[in-house]
Amino acid sequence: MQSKRLFDRIDSIRFTGITKRYGNSFAVKDLDLEIKGGELLILIGPSGSGKTTTLRMINRMIEQDSGNVTINGLDTKDVDPVRLRRNIGYVIQNIGLFPHMTIGENIGLVPKLEGWEKKQQLERIKTLLNFVSLPPEMFMDRYPGQLSGGQQQRVGLARAMAMDPPLFLMDEPFGALDPILRKQLQKEFLKIKDEINRTIVFVTHDIEEALVLGDRIAIMNQAELVQVGPPEELIFNPANDLVADIVDTQRKFKHMDTLRVKDLMSPFENKYVLEGNTEVCDAVDEMTKREIENAFVFEGEKLLGEVTMVDLMKCKSKSQKLIDIARPIKTFQPKDSVAFALSELKNSGEYLAVVMNSGEPVGILVSDEVLLKLI
Amino acid sequence: MVVLETVLDATWEHVVLVYTTLFVSILVSIPLAFAALYSKKLELVVMKFANLVQAVPSFAVVAIMVPLLGIGFTPALVAIMLRALLPIVKNTYIGLTNVDPALIDYAEGVGLNQWQIHRYIRLPNAYPAMFAGIKFAGILANSIAVLTAFIGSGGLGEIIFQGLIGYNTNTLLSGAIPAIMLAIFIDLSFTILEKKVTPVHAGE
Repeated sequence: MQSKRLFDRIDSIRFTGITKRYGNSFAVKDLDLEIKGGELLILIGPSGSGKTTTLRMINRMIEQDSGNVTINGLDTKDVDPVRLRRNIGYVIQNIGLFPHMTIGENIGLVPKLEGWEKKQQLERIKTLLNFVSLPPEMFMDRYPGQLSGGQQQRVGLARAMAMDPPLFLMDEPFGALDPILRKQLQKEFLKIKDEINRTIVFVTHDIEEALVLGDRIAIMNQAELVQVGPPEELIFNPANDLVADIVDTQRKFKHMDTLRVKDLMSPFENKYVLEGNTEVCDAVDEMTKREIENAFVFEGEKLLGEVTMVDLMKCKSKSQKLIDIARPIKTFQPKDSVAFALSELKNSGEYLAVVMNSGEPVGILVSDEVLLKLI
Repeated sequence: MVVLETVLDATWEHVVLVYTTLFVSILVSIPLAFAALYSKKLELVVMKFANLVQAVPSFAVVAIMVPLLGIGFTPALVAIMLRALLPIVKNTYIGLTNVDPALIDYAEGVGLNQWQIHRYIRLPNAYPAMFAGIKFAGILANSIAVLTAFIGSGGLGEIIFQGLIGYNTNTLLSGAIPAIMLAIFIDLSFTILEKKVTPVHAGE
């Protein structure tokens, strides 16, 4: 049953003259595109531009009307689709965890179907859960419904890595998450990406995400590929107005000088507050329940710092209190200028800050969200 | 007065009749429900027939067996099956089709073949609906098995009818009470079984 791997690494994926039609309209028209081995290629464009169709033609979830898709020179049409898909990791927006299976069973399903030994499966599940910062002993036997959105997304990633595929297809994996959660998972994903060093094709409609994650970005519009290149090339040499429009970050900063932090912050919500004397274990449960990945630690009125779910998971002693592990976090005044706040954040490599007004938390500043609001 | 031995014999006949029918019904229903996934025509026929037979009085179904198949165990079995089959087919089919299409799409995307999708995704998701159908069919079979005593199936119905005809309350109760207890047993046993095979989905 254990099938031989189709490819150990990806040298290139090539689309040649690909066309897909639905009725009279084109989903993808005359697409020529080469994806290089080891890169993260972003497919971006408005909805209906053909980006998801393009992605799904790689694993033959959609079959093209004409043209060829080849992986390492091998025409995908000559490969059994089931076998092809088992060699490709797949992550989708609504995660698609099977609700009737535990986290362990979800991750171990394909290895099981490939005829792995029980022991081998279990080991793989544990390794992967550790890799995505979810302690296996705590999560393996839970059901997806018992996990927060962020945790489910991590399991989705772990599951895609089960067979250690050389290629990943990701269809808006962070699309359904709120901005703070999304930013946190993107940050983790970048780390994972560098570690596993695999070829990734990634669909998104969020240009910030594309600029942060992508090695190269392919911009699609109305079923056609408009331009493909590294982020800086798109910014400095846009092929047309549409590309310029999508990537023109300069324009967004035009009125930066006049803007204050209070204009662009998100309102502070109590769900992000945890008490300093909370034990790590309780904090994990509480954060899962509140569906948050970051929390701010207070002692009475005083802000002590920030903790993330990952910090808590990695923490050795579960009886430790938050006060011991909270990391200091930047704070700003509502009247501070946005330009100042953003450069401060950029210099310290952070993306999150609390806005304090005479000792009271009033808002949260998320660097990406600021950029989005400026558009 | 009825002797204990007669009651026990009748109860045994009753149990055999009910469980045989239920077993055969399940064996026929589940492949039928899967087949309905593949054929719109079959789905339509099964569902239409299900609703129709549901509307016909049970006693009429039992009676119509006599000109067709005569009397005895087999006609009784067929009569009960006609009623018991359809709640199972219908519920199983609904369970199989009520799976989130995104899950099926994802399962295909990671390389499950059709058989594996049925086995690992559709079937487990259908369990709750399926068992609700089987439980209902079991209770239905138990009560129709009383009626089939009229066409010579034996069982507890025979004692009940004797009691009714002879205005003998004791005889009547010695048939009716085991029949009621059987119904309760079927309900309980399938509820327990259902809990065993249905995993917890949401939080505790």
